[in-house]
Amino acid sequence: MIFKQYRFEPLAQASYLLGCARAKEGVIVDPSDDLGAESYVLDAADLGLSIVGVFETHVHADYVSCARELSEMTGTPLYLHEAAKGLVKYDFTSISDGQVFDIGKVRIQALHTPGHTPEHTCYLVSDRARSDDPWFVLTGDALFVGDVGRPDLLVGDQALDVMDEATRARTQYESITRKLFSLPDYVEVFPGHYGGSTCGGVNMSGKVSSTIAFEKHFNLALRQPDAASFAQFVKDTAKPFPDNYARIKSYNLGLIAKDEIKGARA
Amino acid sequence: MTDIKETKLLDARGLLCPMPIVKAGKEMKTLAAGDILKVLATDRGAIADFPAWADDTGNELLEWKDQGDGTLVFYIKKGED
Amino acid sequence: MTPQEVQAATREGAVVVDMRPPKPFATEHIPGAVNFQFNRADLADRADLALPRDAAYIVHAEPDPIAKVAIQILGDAGFTVKGYLEGGLKGWKAAGLATAALPLLTVDDIRQRPDDFLIVDTREGFEYRYGHIPGSTLLEWTEPWSAMAAVTDDKPLALVCGDQVRSAYVASVLLRLGKKAQLVFGGMADWTERGYPVEKTAKSVQR
Repeated sequence: MIFKQYRFEPLAQASYLLGCARAKEGVIVDPSDDLGAESYVLDAADLGLSIVGVFETHVHADYVSCARELSEMTGTPLYLHEAAKGLVKYDFTSISDGQVFDIGKVRIQALHTPGHTPEHTCYLVSDRARSDDPWFVLTGDALFVGDVGRPDLLVGDQALDVMDEATRARTQYESITRKLFSLPDYVEVFPGHYGGSTCGGVNMSGKVSSTIAFEKHFNLALRQPDAASFAQFVKDTAKPFPDNYARIKSYNLGLIAKDEIKGARA
Repeated sequence: MTDIKETKLLDARGLLCPMPIVKAGKEMKTLAAGDILKVLATDRGAIADFPAWADDTGNELLEWKDQGDGTLVFYIKKGED
Repeated sequence: MTPQEVQAATREGAVVVDMRPPKPFATEHIPGAVNFQFNRADLADRADLALPRDAAYIVHAEPDPIAKVAIQILGDAGFTVKGYLEGGLKGWKAAGLATAALPLLTVDDIRQRPDDFLIVDTREGFEYRYGHIPGSTLLEWTEPWSAMAAVTDDKPLALVCGDQVRSAYVASVLLRLGKKAQLVFGGMADWTERGYPVEKTAKSVQR
């Protein structure tokens, strides 16, 4: 399996390339416009891979996604969970919980983990050349190393305000404890953000990967005894809101044009 | 684990076959007999290429390993001229 | 360049260089196109070793950003590039233009039916000498196209290299020259992985 983690340091955001060296095909997860669709395409070409799909874990609020450009450029589907239908104003290929994708020997399984956002989906990956058992999970903004994705990005706008904060926090807690923590301990965790990113709380580690076991042991938010304490803990340890998140999210939802984002990044 | 200390390192990662060999050949010309060239490559063709090339050129392939992350490492000792 | 412009240019002798990986090329490509896989690290070096300097090229690479980078690299390396096919193969077919295919074989195919093919090894001489498929002949990928034109194809030619990048290039040139060429996907990597026999040739004494 070819695995590459791309990091855009100013926003401490991570995107991924997963590919099968034999089949010469790969997919991109959570591509960032700060790196640009072209850079992913060129990188895949350098690795001798054809991009056959673009996956989003969720609709992002802290960075401008280039998933649409990348999907169009490569003529391949943009995969997003079905809960995004009606929220997102552009066409995408809807996926559902448990759905499996095979890219050569690389197997990706969608795990719907709402909370941070209603459509949030983690991607569980196996390298079937070694074993059918899961190897690692791309956790987007659901679970970070040492912390969790914030459930409080509300704007009070119909399109953006889709669950109240309390419901989101509880859903977030359940998604992680029931779905992610039921995975084997050895499964590696690769998050969508790390370190200084404001998508999570003050306990976010600068480490760019960990394991389920590590999170069970060291993640302070998830060591809280129940959903209510979890919600309180997350509130108490929150960071300032991401810069310009309302407009970035609006763009990523397809509600505004790119030149309306203004001041999105330096 | 290896204790081989290389005289020179050639990073041929990302190069398609047979470029790792072509570049290794060029680097070898700058080395003296007995010097060791360490080559990093990602092209799987290098696995067959380096033993073949070493055999053909009178150089000695001391060791090679697959780092597991897609990078192959080769240690080649320059033979007598 | 539009599909029509590309077609007109090929009629005047320009060569389409299809820089996609071998598999999509084999599935379908612009008739007469030569397959030369793109990468940034050593495209210039490989082109320098193999591509004829006396031709004018048109780049076909997908998506478009790759074509632009390829033109830059080839241009800097001193090749004459007239432009690139905008819209790729999709645009070509939408314009009603025909495509061609390169038949694919597996190593099992040539192992099971060795008499149905002339197996041609496109690797460097030393790679061939060190271990090749019994009965195969050597035609190095860096040979000029005039040498490739001299190959006889009483039986279909099964092209082999380490994996399939160099052999796809040679196969495409042979197709262009009107020969019956087929590509053995997986090449020597697959052949040796299956434990099929390899033959060595006494190595030359010179260094």
